[in-house]
Amino acid sequence: MRGVQLPFSNTQKLRYERALAQLESLSSKVNTNATVIVADTIPVDEDGALKGHGTLDMGKKVVATVCGVVERVNKLVYVRSLRARYKPEIGDIIVGRVIEVAPKRWRLEINFSQDAVLMLSSMNLPDGIQRRRTAIDELNMRTIFVENDVICAEVRGFQHDGSLHLQARSQKYGKLERGRLLTIPPYLVKRRKQHFHHLDQYGVDLILGCNGFIWIGEHVEVKDVMVEDQVNKSDPQNTHSGSLLGSSEELTSTPPETRQYICRIANAITVFAALDFMVTLEGVIEMVNLSLSLNLGVDEMLKAEFHVLVAEKEAERRSTLTKRR
Amino acid sequence: MGSFKRKSQEFSNNEGSIIPPPSKQMKQNGLVDEAVACVHDVSYPEGYIPSAASTLPQQDSKPAKEFPFTLDPFQSEAINCLNNGESVMVSAHTSAGKTVVALYAIAMCLKNNQRVVYTSPIKALSNQKYREFKEEFSDVGLMTGDVTIDPNASCLVMTTEIWRSMQYNGSDVIREVAWVIFDEVHYMRDRERGVVWEESIVMAPKNSRFVFLSATVPNAKEFADWVAKVHQQPCHIVYTDYRPTPLQHYIFPSGGDGLYLVVDEKGKFREDSFQKALNALVPANEGDKKRENGKWQKGLVVGKSGEDSDIFKMVKMIIQRQYDPVICFSFSKRECEFLAMQMAKMDLNNDDEKVNIETIFWSAMDILSDDDKKLPQVSNMLPLLKRGIGVHHSGLLPILKEVIEILFQEGFIKCLFATETFSIGLNMPAKTVVFTNVRKFDGDKFRWISSGEYIQMSGRAGRRGIDERGICILMVDEKLEPPTVKSMLKGSADALNSAFHLSYNMLLNQIRCKDADPKNLLRDSFYQFQADRAIPDLEKQAKILEEERDSIVIEEEDSLERYYSLLEQYKSLKKDVRNIVLSPKYCLPFLQPGRLVCIECTKIDDDVPTFSIKEEVTWGVIINFERVKGLSEDDANKKPEDANYTIDVLTRCIVQKDEVGRKTIKIVPLKNAGEPAVVSLPLSQIDSLSSVRLVIPKDLLPSEVRENTLKKVSEVLNRFSREGMPLLHPEDDMKVQSSTYRKASSKIEALESLFEEHKIATSPLIKEKLKVLHKKKELTGKIRSIKRAMRTSKALAFKDELKARKRVLRRLGYIKSDDVLESKGNVVCLISSADELTLSELMYNGTFEKIKVEELVSLLSCFVWQEKLQDTQKPREELELLFAQLQDTARRVAKVQLESKVQIDVENFVSSFRPDIMEAVYAWAKGSKFYEIMEITQVFEGSLIRAIRRLEEVLQQLIEAAKAVGDEKHEAKFKEAVAKIKRDIVFAASLYL
Repeated sequence: MRGVQLPFSNTQKLRYERALAQLESLSSKVNTNATVIVADTIPVDEDGALKGHGTLDMGKKVVATVCGVVERVNKLVYVRSLRARYKPEIGDIIVGRVIEVAPKRWRLEINFSQDAVLMLSSMNLPDGIQRRRTAIDELNMRTIFVENDVICAEVRGFQHDGSLHLQARSQKYGKLERGRLLTIPPYLVKRRKQHFHHLDQYGVDLILGCNGFIWIGEHVEVKDVMVEDQVNKSDPQNTHSGSLLGSSEELTSTPPETRQYICRIANAITVFAALDFMVTLEGVIEMVNLSLSLNLGVDEMLKAEFHVLVAEKEAERRSTLTKRR
Repeated sequence: MGSFKRKSQEFSNNEGSIIPPPSKQMKQNGLVDEAVACVHDVSYPEGYIPSAASTLPQQDSKPAKEFPFTLDPFQSEAINCLNNGESVMVSAHTSAGKTVVALYAIAMCLKNNQRVVYTSPIKALSNQKYREFKEEFSDVGLMTGDVTIDPNASCLVMTTEIWRSMQYNGSDVIREVAWVIFDEVHYMRDRERGVVWEESIVMAPKNSRFVFLSATVPNAKEFADWVAKVHQQPCHIVYTDYRPTPLQHYIFPSGGDGLYLVVDEKGKFREDSFQKALNALVPANEGDKKRENGKWQKGLVVGKSGEDSDIFKMVKMIIQRQYDPVICFSFSKRECEFLAMQMAKMDLNNDDEKVNIETIFWSAMDILSDDDKKLPQVSNMLPLLKRGIGVHHSGLLPILKEVIEILFQEGFIKCLFATETFSIGLNMPAKTVVFTNVRKFDGDKFRWISSGEYIQMSGRAGRRGIDERGICILMVDEKLEPPTVKSMLKGSADALNSAFHLSYNMLLNQIRCKDADPKNLLRDSFYQFQADRAIPDLEKQAKILEEERDSIVIEEEDSLERYYSLLEQYKSLKKDVRNIVLSPKYCLPFLQPGRLVCIECTKIDDDVPTFSIKEEVTWGVIINFERVKGLSEDDANKKPEDANYTIDVLTRCIVQKDEVGRKTIKIVPLKNAGEPAVVSLPLSQIDSLSSVRLVIPKDLLPSEVRENTLKKVSEVLNRFSREGMPLLHPEDDMKVQSSTYRKASSKIEALESLFEEHKIATSPLIKEKLKVLHKKKELTGKIRSIKRAMRTSKALAFKDELKARKRVLRRLGYIKSDDVLESKGNVVCLISSADELTLSELMYNGTFEKIKVEELVSLLSCFVWQEKLQDTQKPREELELLFAQLQDTARRVAKVQLESKVQIDVENFVSSFRPDIMEAVYAWAKGSKFYEIMEITQVFEGSLIRAIRRLEEVLQQLIEAAKAVGDEKHEAKFKEAVAKIKRDIVFAASLYL
């Protein structure tokens, strides 16, 4: 199950296995026999079952078309695939990388079975004005995003031609700079109300993309176009200096401490992913703090000892959770 | 547009001279002349500094559009705001010409290469507007639930519902739209659909600007304040009462034969002729009393035998006086048709016109199949139309409705019978408007039409540039009371109040959208805004009341208070006992004629209760008693014990007549002056029954006989004055056997002894003191209720309901505990045209899996049909079974809601699904012709068509839902269903397209 290949010492191995055993005992047994592989028959009620994703109605029987866990909601039967590519849902926050600037659109790699599309018209223009996109805007697309830029967006939905469209509803979406992109299996990111996190204590932004792309970068204040507009109107001189200030800010590089924090967070997430634990904000912060309190170097977080510590912590956390219930 | 250039000079003159510069925060009246005056005001968001640029009118830039006529002040005022790039709310009468503002906004956007969205509340109106704009500007698209034309156009006309779902879907349009025009925004007060406007306005892109067009609303400023707050931008208000053609209001008394001018074109109310009109009312004869309960207006259509009906006389008179064309408004479809049938003898068109009408009619009907052309509604309509008489209501085939609109606009229809729907939307004025009825059924009961509705409908009177004045005729009958008429004619427009409510679709869409939160929507809603506004007012009230309360100082308050509470207790116990003893179950056998009863006197002052142990009572003789007939028919099934009774009692009364002729009767003690009279009393006004019975004379009509009887009563009373009147003993005589009775009566005894311990009771001023204390208590109660109101409005409105509804969603598995959508929730997000929870539960329970496509369509028809039909036959067994399944599901959904503390009436909810058109829709899906299915059901053609169109909308949403679930079989099934119902006359294209 958890194929971690690390140079464990004997005691570490023992501790690790104990933690795993504890976790095993805590996990629910409900779905254990519901796992299927491709072409397995799924037992369904005879009268009126809905056959959802990952199933195929073969007339007399229903078979699985992917490997995963059979889920039932009322009479709907579907297979939730494990360890597969990301499966988008409308409203998901994702992080992706631009791979092509095409007419009126950017193509993005988001770990889905096809490239995602971000239309020029699906994002606010840099000037914040509501208007139709012109040919000039199209020519200027490269001033917004170019290939290999990392972008954060929201899943808008599938178009009629089956392509996946993204959108950027507000200013907080868009290009991500001065940070680090991490890719982990998408199933380790749980869908939550909030995927943007500002870790104030480290001055770092953390975006847990639903597609398993995780962005850790220096914190940027989200500019509200409206506010800026008003400032613009009321005091034209001020804005001028303001924009100057902004550009000078860009010149200053990320301070080393922030860079360290970024790496620490990234390493904590890497460890979580290696151990196959869900990546949550709370867990990540706890592990970063643990590493700080133990005075571990950034690089030491990737060593065997820390893995074992994380596993033990996780086992401890989950057991307290179940006890509380 | 070359011909307009000449006028541009005039226009810019207007701008310079007449119009005061906008955006000063004060009221400014247009200076031209009073009739055309408009009010201009601006709402700024808090902390907003008006920029210097916007105060200078941009003289240099050319107007985006010029009009071939001089603009009215309110129009140019509004256009000024548009030129400054600021939002505006235009509140004016329907006929005043608000469209000009919309046209200018569209022209401006097109010039700037921006997108503009125009939303209207009704599909038909969207079609008409699409055509109007398409003729003016070519780059126009249309999106309604039925059709989509050129969705990439710069100007998009759509229904507000479509705009709302576009915003949830994150359509590209919302990033490109610079101006959003909301037409008929006063629809926001609609109980069912109003919330869509609020959602749309709150969620609209923050950088766009708005044009709100509304009928006259007194609180336009409040609305603008709200927009300014929510969108952090200034919002102008341009308000005008101005009508291009002044109105005269007449009254036509029923049964009479003349018109009485009650409000002249200057808006003056003529008291004298109003009185004359009322005097001319022919009093209803006794036999007509049955006409109550809503059927009373039939007199209007039936008429007295042998005579022409009122409406016929009316139309004849209108034609004779050349007041045509005329629109006659009534409030039901059936009545509309019935009235039109009364006109059978009339012919208002000449032969030329008849030929024209026939040509127009048949060329419009050309798109129908031959079978459909033979529909009775189609073939019956033509002869009527040829005679210049039309009918317009929602029960007509949409295509007929449109033909009639066209014919009316062309002047071929001289007399149109229409329902209220004709009063909104496109400019279709007549010279005269007649209200055949002044009461309407609003879903629960009949009520007078409000002054706002009156204003809206009377707005159709008077054609600009043709008529000097418009004429409004109100047909009234004996039921109408003068104050009601006055407030209707002279009243102000209805206020724009929020009709916000939550729906599951809204919640799920809000939850799904990561940037939104249902709480934010609630906080930004107009409802919340209005509630917040009320707080300072409430605070003031509470303060005043508190001061008043504190100013009341009472000596020995403590002991007085104890005494007071004792009294209260005593009274309530007494009441309990009386209620038991005098329940019909026990007292019915003793209500024989002649029995002396003790009754309560009518209180002189209702507000101040008495504070002695003894209530003021008097005596009387029972003459008779009878059951109260309830309104509902199932009354007959009630047991005698449960029914209500009234008792006729002979006693001393003071009878007064007020000026209207209504009698008020006060019961007074026997010794007082007054006349002996028989009054009907409810059981609750009886204090006790005595064991004495008198022999009463048979004929009580002469007043001396009654006087004598009362004298006898006094005699009896005198005889028993020492030991008190012998009363029927509850347990011994009346056989009351109830443990509560025994408990209560023993408590009373205990209390009575307690009274004696109170020294304060003997104090001479006890009554006054108690009164003061009572007043103080009342004040405290008032303060408490005001404070409660304040607390609820300070707290987020709907907060508890939001919680409860989220609980429902969690229990049914639509969202997780941390407010993240489950896959089921994603499905419900897509369903907005029918009850989303019941529909998705049905789907998830696999109900649609087994059934045939026709059955599926038939089942879904229950979701879209809302009219209640009397005595329809039951659908066949398979369908009945399906319907039962639907009811089960609905009941389950309702129960979960109830358990989650959502306020809902389970049975009401279940019965909101109507099986009435299941058979018809089943037949339609089977491929029957339209005339065939019309034979199956009794419903109006237009209503059925609307239902089937909405059904198609639901099916389209279900296709999307099936896609989201991943079940291809369902998807295919829904698609097949769409293919089966989408054909022929039901989906015939609108003539406006």
